[in-house]
Amino acid sequence: MKIHPKHIIESLIFISLEPLSLDKIKSVLTEFSDKEIEGAMKDLLENYTSNEKGIQIIQAAGGFLFSTNPEHDLWIKRLLKFERKYRLSSAGLETLSTIAYHQPITLAEISALRGVDSIHSLKTLLQKKLVKIVGRKKSPGKPLIYRTTDKFLAYFELDSIKDLPSQEEILKILEEEKNLD
Amino acid sequence: MDNLKGYQVKLDAFQGPLDLLLFLIRKKKINIHDIPIATITREYLKHLNQEEKIDLEREAEFLFMAALLIHIKSQMLLPRENIPEEEDPRQVLVERLLDYQKIKAACSILRGKEEEQMQKWQRTSLPPLSLEDDIELTEVSLFDLAEAFLTLMKKKEKENIQFIKGKEFSLEAKMKEMLAYLEENSFLDFLDYFNQQESLEEAFVSFFCLLELIKVKIVIAMQESLFHAIKVWLRKESS
Repeated sequence: MKIHPKHIIESLIFISLEPLSLDKIKSVLTEFSDKEIEGAMKDLLENYTSNEKGIQIIQAAGGFLFSTNPEHDLWIKRLLKFERKYRLSSAGLETLSTIAYHQPITLAEISALRGVDSIHSLKTLLQKKLVKIVGRKKSPGKPLIYRTTDKFLAYFELDSIKDLPSQEEILKILEEEKNLD
Repeated sequence: MDNLKGYQVKLDAFQGPLDLLLFLIRKKKINIHDIPIATITREYLKHLNQEEKIDLEREAEFLFMAALLIHIKSQMLLPRENIPEEEDPRQVLVERLLDYQKIKAACSILRGKEEEQMQKWQRTSLPPLSLEDDIELTEVSLFDLAEAFLTLMKKKEKENIQFIKGKEFSLEAKMKEMLAYLEENSFLDFLDYFNQQESLEEAFVSFFCLLELIKVKIVIAMQESLFHAIKVWLRKESS
């Protein structure tokens, strides 16, 4: 039996707990050329695009990851005896999106943008590892500065920070809201 | 009973003063670029007055905005001579509102994405299968460690006015000592351990050892939750 890079990649993604990047795959599959690997990757993704499978490949945080078909949510929860996953609180989500769009950012800047003190939300986000400290700002008091993490990207299934809702999408939402009134 | 007064929205429903302002602007169908400050201030204060119980911290943020609105109104009333015509005292507030409005809109898109993600399961997102009362530990970052160490050193500095020089500490010996301690006690409490150090110098050497041991992945520093005691554990062999 001939070993096809597509199947190796499938195994690699299966065994990875974090999104597996194409670069990483290339560094492991030394026997194959970059072009072969890219082709195999494309092939593999096509195999998984149909909705008839239980497993899908999602692209998030700069890599690939197996995920279950959203339509099977009910049975998975039944198996795991799990009622629901916890959603972020409104304050948490607002703080997170403030950081995402204005990073790198300090606590004072977050609070100013939101108009409310954001220390508690920030602490929770740090605990959930959705944001991280990346250093200190060179300004009076040397406040800590924060950024979003890869876990943040994976949480919203974003491939990179560029995939955040764009200005156009945001304006569209605002337009829709206006029309609702 | 509240229903008698018609439709009311509690302050709790709002993230903050900006959120409330945006709500009022929409409700009154106000053009955000040309806000009638008097009307909006009146509406805003009406909402504040509806609150029965007072949460001081939240109240302060809402009151601050009320003060800002009144300040803007007063600036608009006063005859201005030296200020150029184009400068509108409302400008800063309008910009803040626009920025905030964008964040809110982005939130609603992200909420949708979160909802989709909730239906998808990855092995990484599986709930921990451990017992309920198991403490969930988070690995600490270099910043946490350095922060804890600095506070401690500041405290020590005051105690350590005089010390006799003599003993020198080698990294290697200290590292061995630390590992032996870990083997015996299974974990080491960061604060306690450094408090026991005799001198500043010894504490410094110990801290460098700890950083080195973390770097080569022999030990791991964890804490129960943010700003809790940091504990250091030996890493278990993965084989």
